[in-house]
Amino acid sequence: MRLMRTPADTAAFEWPSWQEVVKLGVTLLVATLLQTTLAPHLRLLGAYPDFALIAVVCVALVKGCEIGAVFGFLTGMATAVALMEPFGLNAFVFVLVGFLAGRYAETAELSASVAPLVSVFAATCLANVLLAMAQFLLLREVPFGFFIGRVLFPALVLNTLLAAPIYLVVRVWLQGAGDLRVARVR
Amino acid sequence: MVAVLLLLSVAMLTLYFRESDRGVAHGVQGTVLRVVAPLQSGTARATKPFRDAWNWVADLFSAKAENMRLERELEQLRAGLAQELTTQAENKQLREMLAFQEDLVYPRGVELVTGRVVARSTSAWYSTVTINVGGSRGVDVYDPVVCGAGLVGRVTAVNATTAQVMLITDQLSYVDAMVEPGGAQGIVGGSVAGDITLQYVDKNEKVKVGQYVVTSGRNSTVFVRGIPIGTVESVGKQEVELYQSIAVRPAVDFRKLDLVQVIVR
Repeated sequence: MRLMRTPADTAAFEWPSWQEVVKLGVTLLVATLLQTTLAPHLRLLGAYPDFALIAVVCVALVKGCEIGAVFGFLTGMATAVALMEPFGLNAFVFVLVGFLAGRYAETAELSASVAPLVSVFAATCLANVLLAMAQFLLLREVPFGFFIGRVLFPALVLNTLLAAPIYLVVRVWLQGAGDLRVARVR
Repeated sequence: MVAVLLLLSVAMLTLYFRESDRGVAHGVQGTVLRVVAPLQSGTARATKPFRDAWNWVADLFSAKAENMRLERELEQLRAGLAQELTTQAENKQLREMLAFQEDLVYPRGVELVTGRVVARSTSAWYSTVTINVGGSRGVDVYDPVVCGAGLVGRVTAVNATTAQVMLITDQLSYVDAMVEPGGAQGIVGGSVAGDITLQYVDKNEKVKVGQYVVTSGRNSTVFVRGIPIGTVESVGKQEVELYQSIAVRPAVDFRKLDLVQVIVR
C-alpha cells in the first residue's frame, strides 16, 4: 500500500455529485442509528458489532480515501453526539481508518471478496488499539489481558464476519451492482 | 485534507474537555441531539421486536442454569417467608405504638420522571446509556436512575431533551451501599469487565451469599436510601487484607434495559 498521494492521485479526485452526497448522508444516518440503538443488543461471540466502523471502511473502499476520511470524520462526530460522548475521539480514529482503507483500495489490486475482510480486520485492530490508548491517557483502567481477550479478539472475529455482507449492501447502494473489483490502481 | 480533519478532531477533543458544560462544543452537541433524539427514539422502538427476539434466543442458552438458581432462591425465600411474616406483624405493632410514619423507599419531595433508553455505548470502556428525558423535565446531573428491578446509575450529562446515564457497572461508578440484613456498609464499584463489587467492607462484618445490597443513603449521597443494587454472589476474605472482597450480582439486567425512572429532587 502506498500512503503518500501523488499529483496524479490528487488530479483524479472528483467531488461527489449531490445524489451521491445524499446517499452518503443516508448511509451515515443508518450506520449511526444502527450503532447506537441496535448494536448494543446484538452481543455475539463476546462482542458488539461495530456498524459505524465497518460502514466507514466500506465507503472508503468504494469511494476512495478523501471521501472515506470525510465520511469517517462525520460518522465519528455523529456517534459522539448520539451517545453524548466527547467530541473528536471517534472522529480522529475514523478519519485515519477511512483514509487508510481508501488508500488500500486505490493502491492494491484486490478482489471484492478479499478487500473488505482484510480492510475491516486491519481497521478493527487499529481502531481498538487507538481507542484503548486514548482511554489509558484519560486515566481509565485498561488491563492488557482484558483488552486482548475480551475486546480486541472478539471484535476482530465479529467485524470480519460482518464485513462481506455490509460491504455488499453499501456497494450496491452507493455504486450499483456492477464491477466487482474493489481496487482502482492509479 | 486528512491532516486538517485530524487536527480538527484533536482541537474539538481538547475544546470538549477544557470547556464547561455550557460551552460551545456541548451546545452544538445538545442542539444536534435535539434533532437526532426523536430519530433514535423511533429507531429504538422500531427495532424493539428484533431486540426482544434476539434476547429470547440468547436467554434460551442460559435458561437451564437460571432455572436451577431460581429454584434454590425460591427455597431460601420460602424458608424466610414465615420469619418475615412474624417480623412484619411485630413491626406493625411497633409502628403503631410509636405513631411512626410509614417510611417509603423514596423520601417525600422527590419526583420520578420516566424515560426510555434510546442509545447505548458499545465501547468496552464506557457503560453509559442515553435516555429521552432531559433538563426540560427537571432532570439534572447526579440524579439517580432506577428501574423496576433496582438501581441503574446516575445522570452524568444533560441537555434539554436527553440525558446520559452512567450505569453502576461503569469503572468510574461508585455507590455508597449496605448489606441487608446486617447493615454492613461499603461502596459498590463497577469495573472494566462490567462486574460490580462491594468494596471497603470491614473483614469482621458477617456477610453471606444471597444477602441484599441496597443504597445506604448516608452522608447526603446522591442516591436515596434503600434502592436495591443486587445480591451478594460471593465473599472473599484474606488474612492480609483489611477489607472483604464481595462480588455482587446486579438486580438489574442491563442487557434488557428499556424503561427507566430518574429520581428528580
